[in-house]
Amino acid sequence: MIEVEGLIKRHGVLEVLKGVTLQVALGEVAVIVGPSGGGKSTFLRCLNGLESFQGGSVTVDGLKISLETPGRERSRTLRQVCRRVGMVFQNFNLFPHRTVLENVTEGPTYVLGLDRGLAEERARKLLDRVGLIDKLDARPRQLSGGQQQRVAIARALAMEPRAILFDEPTSALDPRMTNEVLAVMADLARDGLTMVIVTHAMRFARQVAQTVHVFEGGQVLESGPPGQIFDAPRLEATRLLLAETQAA
Amino acid sequence: MGANSDGSESEPFAATKVFSLTSNSLRLILGLALGWSMLAFPSPLQADTLDRIKTSGQLRYGADEEGGAPYFFKDGDGRRVGFEADLMAEIGRELGVEPVFQQAQWETLLQVLDRGEVDVVINGYELTASRSRDFLATRPYYVYQLQLMARGDGPLHSWADIQLPRPGGGPWKIAVLGMSAADLYARRFQGENLRVAISDGATTAMRGVRNGQFDATLQDLPAARHYIKTTDFRDQLRLIGPPEGSGYYVIYTRKKDTSLNEAIDRAIAKLLESGKLRRIYEKYDIWNDAQKVLESRSSVAMDKAGPSRPWFDLDLLVRFGPSLIWAALTTLVLSFSAMPLAMAIGMLVAIGRVYGSWPIAKAFGCYVELVRGTPLILQLFVLFYVLPEIGITLTPWAAGVAGLAINYSAYEAEIYRAGLQAIPRGQMEAALALGMSPALALRRVIIPQAIRIVIPPVTSDFIALFKDTSVCSVIMLTELTKQYSILFNSQGGVIEFGLATAALYMAMSLPLSAFSRWVERRMDAGPSKGVVR
Repeated sequence: MIEVEGLIKRHGVLEVLKGVTLQVALGEVAVIVGPSGGGKSTFLRCLNGLESFQGGSVTVDGLKISLETPGRERSRTLRQVCRRVGMVFQNFNLFPHRTVLENVTEGPTYVLGLDRGLAEERARKLLDRVGLIDKLDARPRQLSGGQQQRVAIARALAMEPRAILFDEPTSALDPRMTNEVLAVMADLARDGLTMVIVTHAMRFARQVAQTVHVFEGGQVLESGPPGQIFDAPRLEATRLLLAETQAA
Repeated sequence: MGANSDGSESEPFAATKVFSLTSNSLRLILGLALGWSMLAFPSPLQADTLDRIKTSGQLRYGADEEGGAPYFFKDGDGRRVGFEADLMAEIGRELGVEPVFQQAQWETLLQVLDRGEVDVVINGYELTASRSRDFLATRPYYVYQLQLMARGDGPLHSWADIQLPRPGGGPWKIAVLGMSAADLYARRFQGENLRVAISDGATTAMRGVRNGQFDATLQDLPAARHYIKTTDFRDQLRLIGPPEGSGYYVIYTRKKDTSLNEAIDRAIAKLLESGKLRRIYEKYDIWNDAQKVLESRSSVAMDKAGPSRPWFDLDLLVRFGPSLIWAALTTLVLSFSAMPLAMAIGMLVAIGRVYGSWPIAKAFGCYVELVRGTPLILQLFVLFYVLPEIGITLTPWAAGVAGLAINYSAYEAEIYRAGLQAIPRGQMEAALALGMSPALALRRVIIPQAIRIVIPPVTSDFIALFKDTSVCSVIMLTELTKQYSILFNSQGGVIEFGLATAALYMAMSLPLSAFSRWVERRMDAGPSKGVVR
């Protein structure tokens, strides 16, 4: 589903990603952990074109983007990628000038060209699924952080994506709100949705992830099933790192 | 003016009607304006002006050098010359004082005199009954005639031809110096077949004719002859037919300065007798047989005092109100055509600067700096007077709307840029992550949010534009401020016209502010209210 080959990202002289290679299979839940500044979010944002990169290639659902792709074609391909792959942000990024319902119908109506009635029907179902059916006409600023993030998930789901990227979805939330968002995500995982999740929520990672990738210094330090990574890492560095992160 | 005494009968009734229409705030502003105009009147306690002139040894006179040949102009060496400059020198000699020149815009000269900045005004000012009501005229020093000027290849052969249909259809367009005798004269013929356009100066009118923006211009004969003789208008324009109409140039003093007025009268009489006046006119090649009338005193006798009039002459407003309202409409149409254009261009420029590639952002940045860094009046001049030189001839309306739109687009662009940049980056990212194209993201996500932010500054810009339309008088659009100036100068009545003009401006801008507050409220509360049922 997602294949990344030797991905290199530079900010000037600073090399943020130093040749990352990683695969995510269809229906797989991949969790990326690691210290801040390790390149996790940057990696995720390279997958749907929010960040450009300076080397390697990214293939999503058969759509390949590399340095050789000409600019015009690249932006067209990336738009295709974005239609098939949703994203959930740390700060929700809901559209403040629209209601909850409109936030969810926006993509289907204006990007997919779906009939407004169908789009609303789909949005109601999704908002019901994330437990917000009574907030259809509220404005984002009237919702709690957890509620906003659940709307954001519904907004991503409304595009019927093949995969969803989660960029630290609970980092801006307090523990209770964190749990309500994680519950929704666990529910999606059970349904077999392909998910790539950057998070610091280790217990959640252990529960829902099929694969855990540990990022450090712009590289994948170690990858494997959660049992291996958390309990018996192959590298001493991984063990130290996770101990450090968990302590913090 | 006979109309005055007739009008005063209906005055109390009409006055209550006017004031019952005004709101409290309007009344306050009217009151303030009234207070100001009272302050502006010279105090009656002031010493006699002639005594003060003799004591100080200086006679301050107002005139306009711009487009002022052969009246006042700078010669090749930068010296101030002209037949009126020479005349003032002679009058100064007669009075034993030094004449001191004060520059002011021609149509504001009488206001400058009223304020006491100068002691007399001399600049081809015609003797008219309405001016004599507010100011004191000396005996005439010149008999002027009016001369039609047109392009050599044009269809006009004399003033009488304006009665004929214009080849190519539409009315004849004749440019005149606002408030001049030519203006008053031409207006008598105005109608279906003749449209009179007001210009700011003699030369701007001639340039307009040369550029094909007008069919002809009616000028005072001295000016017409001077420019045909000494400038390159010679190659493009010619004098059409015999001179039309005639009247007297006089020097104006303030009404109370009778001693100064009489002293100047005596000086002019002496210059006539000694033949000095004729020599001045011959020097500038403006002497003709018509001037002989000056010597026979009986023919120039006129009631110098003029009829007295009430401090608030409602009759003036009844007679000239329609032309003020017409001018207010011009102001409205100008602003409502220019502002939407300015907003559209501004939005384009702002988007280019914020989201465009480097060369586009840079180019639009230069556009903003260029347009913002040069005055509106200059941009209008370029559009109206310079573009024809390269073959692009705009009508006054087109040039006015284009000038205002271009000028304000730069300010709009900066406002929108601030608005766009105030939207968090995450909004654009969320939209793109949904698969939107950048254009769709702007339309659906960024711009609707930015608009809320920019409503207040855009409204105040609109009100500013609205008042800036007055600059369009330099390209012969007679809007409200210009019309006020024309009426005051040709009719007097600073209080009446001043109050009426202020009231018209307020009547137009108050609804605008109210509208913007309404939009702001609606934008803020409306959608959420509208959806909750």
